[in-house]
Amino acid sequence: MNNLDLNLMADETFRATVKDFLTAEYPQHLRNPAKRLRFAETRDWYMTLSRKGWLCPHWPAEHGGMGLTPNKQLIMIEEFEEYGVARINDQGMVMVGPLLMQHGTMAQKSFHLPRIISGENIWCQGYSEPNAGSDLASLRTEAVLDGDEWVINGSKIWTTLAHDANWIYVLARTDKGVKKQEGISFFLVPMSTPGITVQPIVTIDLNEEFCQTFFDNVRIPKENIVGAPNKGWTMAKALLGFERLFTGSPKQSQHALARLRQLAHRMGAWEDANFQDRYTALRLDLADLAALFETYLDLTRRGDTLGPDVSQLKIWQTELYQRITETMLDVAGENGALLEPLDGNRELHPSGAFLQARPATIYSGTNEIQRNIMAKNVLGLPG
Amino acid sequence: MSEHDDALRMLRDSAAAIAPPGGDLRRIRALRYHAPGFDVGIWQEMCGMGWLGLRVSEERGGSALGMREFCALTEQLGAGLVPEPLIPATIAINALPDDTLAQALAGDMLVLPAWQEAPNSLDPRGATTLRNGKLNGTKVFIPMAAGADAFLVSTTNGLALLAPDAQGVTLTLDKTQDGGNFGTLRLDNTPAAPLPGDITERLEEATLATAAYLLGVMDRVFALTLDYLKTRQQFGKPIGSFQALAHRAVDLRIQINLARASVEAAATTWDAGGPLPLRQAAISRAKHRANLAAMLVTRQAIQLHGGIGNTDDYDAGLFLRKAMVLTASYGNAALHRARFAALSPEADDE
Repeated sequence: MNNLDLNLMADETFRATVKDFLTAEYPQHLRNPAKRLRFAETRDWYMTLSRKGWLCPHWPAEHGGMGLTPNKQLIMIEEFEEYGVARINDQGMVMVGPLLMQHGTMAQKSFHLPRIISGENIWCQGYSEPNAGSDLASLRTEAVLDGDEWVINGSKIWTTLAHDANWIYVLARTDKGVKKQEGISFFLVPMSTPGITVQPIVTIDLNEEFCQTFFDNVRIPKENIVGAPNKGWTMAKALLGFERLFTGSPKQSQHALARLRQLAHRMGAWEDANFQDRYTALRLDLADLAALFETYLDLTRRGDTLGPDVSQLKIWQTELYQRITETMLDVAGENGALLEPLDGNRELHPSGAFLQARPATIYSGTNEIQRNIMAKNVLGLPG
Repeated sequence: MSEHDDALRMLRDSAAAIAPPGGDLRRIRALRYHAPGFDVGIWQEMCGMGWLGLRVSEERGGSALGMREFCALTEQLGAGLVPEPLIPATIAINALPDDTLAQALAGDMLVLPAWQEAPNSLDPRGATTLRNGKLNGTKVFIPMAAGADAFLVSTTNGLALLAPDAQGVTLTLDKTQDGGNFGTLRLDNTPAAPLPGDITERLEEATLATAAYLLGVMDRVFALTLDYLKTRQQFGKPIGSFQALAHRAVDLRIQINLARASVEAAATTWDAGGPLPLRQAAISRAKHRANLAAMLVTRQAIQLHGGIGNTDDYDAGLFLRKAMVLTASYGNAALHRARFAALSPEADDE
C-alpha cells in the first residue's frame, strides 16, 4: 500500500494497521528494554522500518518519508509507545533530515536524505561540551576555514551513541568577535575523518550510551556547512518538534509505576496503608499528567504549534518519574542497595530504575532551564 | 462543539455581571462575618440569570446544561470569591417539589441541603431518621445556613424539606474563615413529610463544581502574585527576576494547569455518563488536585508577597481563607486520595 493512503484511513483502522505491523515484525525480546539499545541490537528493526518505508513518519513522501498528518503521526507514536518499541538511532531522522530539508543545499539533500532512510548513515549529535551544557551558546569547539576545508578542533560530550554513528552533526564557533549566539555554525562531519576519537562514558547506571568525541585538526570539505556561516544557532534552536512534547509523555512514568507495583507485591508492602497512600498519590500525579498531556495532543492534532508552556510536561513528568523510583528504594529496603535485579528479574531492579531516572531531569534541557524558559516566556517574568 | 462554546461564552459573560474579571473585592469584604454572609439581592440576580437551574431539566424550568458549563461558571465565581451559595443550593434544587422548585429557581426561597453528619465526609446517608412523620438527628457544616429559607434534610429513609423555624429545630451558626458560616441543625421530633429523591449524584457534582471554583480562586490569586513579582523592587530589581522566586512561580503555574486539566477531564467524564464509580473516581482526582494546588498557590501567594501578604487589607489573604474553607469542604485531599484508590483499585497503568 502507498503510505500516503494511510492518511485517508479512519483513525482506528490506521491504529490497527500499526498494531498489526508491530505484532508481526517487532522482536519480542526488545520490548520495553531497561536501557537504551545499541545499533547492533536494533539494526534489524531499523532496516525493517526502512524497507516498509515507515522510518520517518514526519518526513514528506518526496524525501522517502511517510508524509503522515500530525494526527496520524501521533497515533503511530502512541502505538509504538504502547507496544514498548525501543528508541532507535534516530538523530538522522529527527534532527538532520528536517534541518536539511529546510536549510540544506540540493547536493546535501540528495546525498544525505536517502542514506538516512536506507540506514547507511547513522547520525549522532555534537552539541554539548564539557564547559557548555545548559549554556550551550558558550561552546568553544572551533571551525576555521583553511582553503577549501574547515578545520575543527575541540570536543563534544554526551554524544549519545557516537560509537554507533558514522556521521556527526556539530555546532562549532566560526566567529569569536560577536555575540556568542551569532558566531556559531552547523557542520556535517563523517566520523571516519582523521582526527576524530570517540571515548565512551560510563554513566551512573553503568551503561555506555554516552560518549565524548574529540576533534583534533579534523578537516572536512568546505561544503559540509549547513546554511550560512554563523547562522547555526538559530537553525538548531528552531528544530523543536514533537520530541519536546514526548519528553512529557506519561508512558515513562506509567512503566515505572507498574514496576513499583510489582516490587511492592514482591516485598509484601502492597497492603500496607502507608504505601497505598503514597502509591495512590503517585497514580493521581500520573493521571493528572495524562490529562494535561492530552490537551497538548489535542493542539497537535489540530495542527497548532506548541507554545513554550510545553516545558511543564517535561518538568512534571520527569520529576514524577524520579519520585516513583525513589519510592521503589523505600519499599525495597536493603534490596534497594543491590547491584543486580531481584530474583534475576530485570523488572524488579529498584536501584537500577532509580539510577536510570537520574538523567531525566538533566537531558533535553535541565528542568532548571525549562523553568527559566517558562518563567520568561510563559509568565513574562523579568530575566 | 460550537453549541458548547456558545453556552460557555454566554455563561462567562453573565458571570461577569456578578464577578467582573479582575474587579475589586470591596463587596466581598463588606459581606464578611455578618449573617447571612452573602447578599440576598445578588442571590436573586444570580437566580434571575438561570444559574440555579443549570442542572435542572428543561421540563422543570431549568436549562439542563452539563457539568462542563456549570464548572465554567463556578470557576468564574471563584475568581471573584462570590459568596452566594450557588453550589450547595444546586445539591437541593432537583429534589424540590414543583411548587417550591419554582420559588427556589426564581430566587425567592433559598433551600440549602443538610446532608452531612461528620467532618470530612461525602456520605449523605448518616443516622438522621424520619419515622412516623418525625425527624431526629443532627446535621453539620451547612454552608451559609444563616441565609436559608428552608433545608433539604437527608435521612436514613429519604429526604425531607423543612423550615428553620419548624417545631423542634435548633439552628446554630459558626463563622467560617472566609466570612461565611456553617450551620448545625438539631432536629428533635421535627414534623416533616418524606420527599422522594436522592442527592448522591448532586453531591458529586457539587464536589466537582467546588474544584472548579478553587481553580478560579488559585488562578486569580496567582495573577495577583505574578503582578507583584514583576513590580515589587528589592535590591534594585523586580523580585521576579530572582531565580528562586521565578522557579517557584513556574511550579505554581504547573499545579494550576494540572488542576485545570483534571477538572476539565472530570467534567467531560461526568457528562459522558458511564459507570458511576469511574465518574466518581474522576471527580475525586479533580478535587484532590484542586485542593492541593489551591492550598499551595494561596500559601505561596502570601509568602511571595512578604509582609504585605500578611495583612487583612491585602486581597491575597481573602483567597487563602476561601481556599481553607473549600479545600476542607466536600472532602479534603486525603479523603479523595483514599476514595480514588477505593473506586479504581485496579490501576490502568499498563
